[in-house]
Amino acid sequence: MADLAGVNGQRENFRVVGKPNLPGKLSYALATGIAKFGIDYVVPGMLEAKFLRSPYANAKVLSVDTSKAWKIPGVVDILTWEDEDIKKLNSFGESFGPQRAWLDDLADQEGAEVAVIVVAENEDICEEALRALDVEWEILPHITDALDGAREDAPVIRPQVREAPTFGAPSPDGPKNPPKRGNVAYANMVSGDIEAGFAEADHIAEYDMYMPAFASHMPNPSGSVAWWFDDPYTSGDGQSLRIEGAVREKRAIANMYGLPVEKTVQEGLFMGGKYCDWGLRKSQEITPLLAKRTGRPVRCVNTREETFDQIMCQRYMHLRVGFKNDGMITAIDDVSIADGGSWGSSSFGNVGDLTQGPFNSVKCPNISQRMQIVDTNRGLMYVSGQHCPFNWDSATMAIYLIAEELGLDPLDVAKYNLHGPDSKEDPRPVRSFDECLEEGRRLMNWDHHKAGTKTLPDGRKHGASFRYQMCPRHSFSSYNSRLELREGRVHLPTQGPLFGVYAVECNAMVVAEELGLEYDDVSIDFDHREEFTPVGGGSDGTTASAWVTKECANILKKQILEAAADEAENPPPPNMHGPMGGPPGPNPLKGYKPEELDMEGGRIIVKADPSKGLKLGDAVHRSVVATYAGKPPMALWTFGMGLRLDTMNTAFCEVAVDEETGEVEILEFGVVADPGKIMRLTSLESQIDQVMYFSQGCQLLEDFVYDKKTGVRLNSNMIDYKKPTILDVPPVHREFLETRSGNAAYGANGISHSLANTHLVIIAIHNAIGVWVDPPATPDAVLRALGKA
Amino acid sequence: MISGDNDNTTLTREAVLLRSAELIDAIPTALTEYRCPLCGGIFSDFAALESHYAEEHPGAASPTTALLSLNGRLCKVLIEPHWTLQRTLQFRLGLTGAKHMCDRGVCGSCTVIMDGRPVLACTILTVECEGHNIQTVEGIAADPRWKPLVDAYCKWDAMQCGYCTPGFLVSAKSLLDRNPNPTEEECREALSGNICICGTYPRHSQAILEAALKIARGE
Ligand code: FES
Ligand code: FES
Repeated sequence: MADLAGVNGQRENFRVVGKPNLPGKLSYALATGIAKFGIDYVVPGMLEAKFLRSPYANAKVLSVDTSKAWKIPGVVDILTWEDEDIKKLNSFGESFGPQRAWLDDLADQEGAEVAVIVVAENEDICEEALRALDVEWEILPHITDALDGAREDAPVIRPQVREAPTFGAPSPDGPKNPPKRGNVAYANMVSGDIEAGFAEADHIAEYDMYMPAFASHMPNPSGSVAWWFDDPYTSGDGQSLRIEGAVREKRAIANMYGLPVEKTVQEGLFMGGKYCDWGLRKSQEITPLLAKRTGRPVRCVNTREETFDQIMCQRYMHLRVGFKNDGMITAIDDVSIADGGSWGSSSFGNVGDLTQGPFNSVKCPNISQRMQIVDTNRGLMYVSGQHCPFNWDSATMAIYLIAEELGLDPLDVAKYNLHGPDSKEDPRPVRSFDECLEEGRRLMNWDHHKAGTKTLPDGRKHGASFRYQMCPRHSFSSYNSRLELREGRVHLPTQGPLFGVYAVECNAMVVAEELGLEYDDVSIDFDHREEFTPVGGGSDGTTASAWVTKECANILKKQILEAAADEAENPPPPNMHGPMGGPPGPNPLKGYKPEELDMEGGRIIVKADPSKGLKLGDAVHRSVVATYAGKPPMALWTFGMGLRLDTMNTAFCEVAVDEETGEVEILEFGVVADPGKIMRLTSLESQIDQVMYFSQGCQLLEDFVYDKKTGVRLNSNMIDYKKPTILDVPPVHREFLETRSGNAAYGANGISHSLANTHLVIIAIHNAIGVWVDPPATPDAVLRALGKA
Repeated sequence: MISGDNDNTTLTREAVLLRSAELIDAIPTALTEYRCPLCGGIFSDFAALESHYAEEHPGAASPTTALLSLNGRLCKVLIEPHWTLQRTLQFRLGLTGAKHMCDRGVCGSCTVIMDGRPVLACTILTVECEGHNIQTVEGIAADPRWKPLVDAYCKWDAMQCGYCTPGFLVSAKSLLDRNPNPTEEECREALSGNICICGTYPRHSQAILEAALKIARGE
């Protein structure tokens, strides 16, 4: 089903695309610390700002007396939610759910920004001023567990918000969701005939699953610094805004402050590891206002503790799967209770999942997914994560349960149930899946055993697990690409930024490929005024933006060849400031039409006789500019991941469990991924490592811990919230296939959102010891599950 | 307009290494003004600042000065007594390579070398650094002897978002100082105090081992 759409989608020979070890254009700046992230900026005369943060999990500010704070030397400004300047603010960052005042008197999680902002000569004075505020709080009941919030007798914590989240909601033709009740909004999606499906089943397996929350954990705490200046380069009334630290969201900041985009200047390129946590924090949005009011640059940064948002919310699931004696699924009933987070959280991870469910990928038509989305005071989730968001864990689990019950190999069960490339009714095999499976068997020496039956020579129990997913088509948004030939050199102008993937590099590789150049022959010009920003759209080098750039490169190529043919006939007059026009001696391209010419090795050559040619700069003296706007065709995200299947991936995990100590060691991960076409090998490999470490972290180490009584989060710091270190991580074996069956450049697809998974390790642990352990599977949790603690 | 110092045209390999050297050259060696951290008042000498404190801010802990030996240069800084070295580097000396990730000695992003040992700049007070030789990532980058290490880090993508990377690079350099020919296991051991969220772990040993080889060959 390969589309391989656009120019040279079918290209066979690659000189540049796919190469490993081409250093990133910004890598030197990163490695040496020259790269400045938002919180690194220190500018002369700068003030600092801090928000009042709630010590309570759910509370309302009844009144604030700021008079003592104002008297503290060094305090420059204090604003409350009642100030007109604050009331006028409106966030244009990415978030979902009902609108809320930008700052108000409600704090619905511990640590939430609420009611007051102080600006002072330095952070210490800010802290002192915040301590000097007389705040009268009304402490409200709180909920820090989704199950508690779903109970009939639970206090209703957000009575003022009645709407259910709508992003990604089931189709308007489907059955209506019940109205919100108490803290619970409903998102139900049912297809086929569930009762008939279970009636037809020879077996029914059930499982209760818990998915802990998982911290977003951007490496760099978020923050910004802003100031206003007279800008000689732009027209229009008023000063321009310089802001650093809100990278990529320049447009959102411009909208927020009613500024034309060209009067919003942001030169910094480094936004740190975002991994789809795109939401702007208040510390990134407020500095322009404070700088305007005080007439001085203002910096506002979050501490690490204040940068501990969720990227995957807590979820409880109950899975019921009916299946025949041969392993064919006949019905699935997937019920979940999901944390909807505090007010303003993303609907990814809950209602947004349903149309993207893993059950789209199986033949069985009888699927029921019913979800309760519960308001809580646990914390905010901005958009989504590298984490596999679309409840693929329950499909992984269903396959394993069937295999266990019937004594089959889960790989065979998965293969038997997977539908064909085009639809649930399509009987054809999915080539990418079959190849991933076979390669995985080989890579892992796969030899499935029933749970609890294999003991390693050192006495520990051995377990193994497998899962599959898709390498999704990431052409969700379109891109505006522009390429230039200037003084013999090809330029790729871009706004950047850099956010943890090598996106601009992949685009430059495609340009080099299409124009017969080397990677280093393409200048990547970072300029904040440029529009092209290859953000989003898949991890392996933003495959979708690279498709757009490929189209643009071919438009440029056509124009270059036309210019070369024209200049061969009509040599340009000498240029006053540049090299004299025309090559010395006769022009070897003279007499050839553009279609008889080609680009190769940095030269324009005659196709029929490549020995005839000229260096690019000698053949074309004029500047040539090409533009292209668009996106590759058919993004599967827009109509339901899993309904069509092209590029797939499989992941494997082997563990050893010590039944005496409860300790789990991941012996190895194995990943066989088919990204369609590898764009930049080194970064693709790293992306795989990263998601496997995410999987390790969330299944063995990570969870948010709350004090139930106060609702206070106890481990929002990097000592108590554990991430894997270099000594913890197991080997990750990776193999790549290139079936060229994606929709982006040369048939590539992305791998983001497809590999991290909360149950790969958990299933391997079950396979080792024969009992279920909810993640995170810490030694004490394992011992408890074994009845030893 | 306050000029931006993140000129994006200067981010190539050569320019970045040069910029590291420039940043070190730009470290102010002497204090020319004394700014009151409480009210922003500016004074021409420390005594004047002290008497301003006594008059205007009685009871407040007054600022102090520290003489630091940094990347081979002696510099005098005006700081507050509770400032960490990380804060002083960023707020007084324009060096942003010691990154603030955890701010409590867990992640290694702020690693610098003090008297040949890696230390965490977020947990050491500036006043404690007097009399010690400190080397930051900028100092390593500016030293041509360490070019192979920087090159190998870039060649092997030992970074994704790059926020933790300077801390890793400093730990790596410190390892090679002590052990120019490490094994992979020794690399992992030496970097076990550095946390990367972006999954770059296997890249670091690869880069260090390659750099060690090149350094040994004098490349
Ligand atoms: S910021 Fe210093 S160790 Fe993390
Ligand atoms: S590269 Fe992002 S934290 Fe290490």
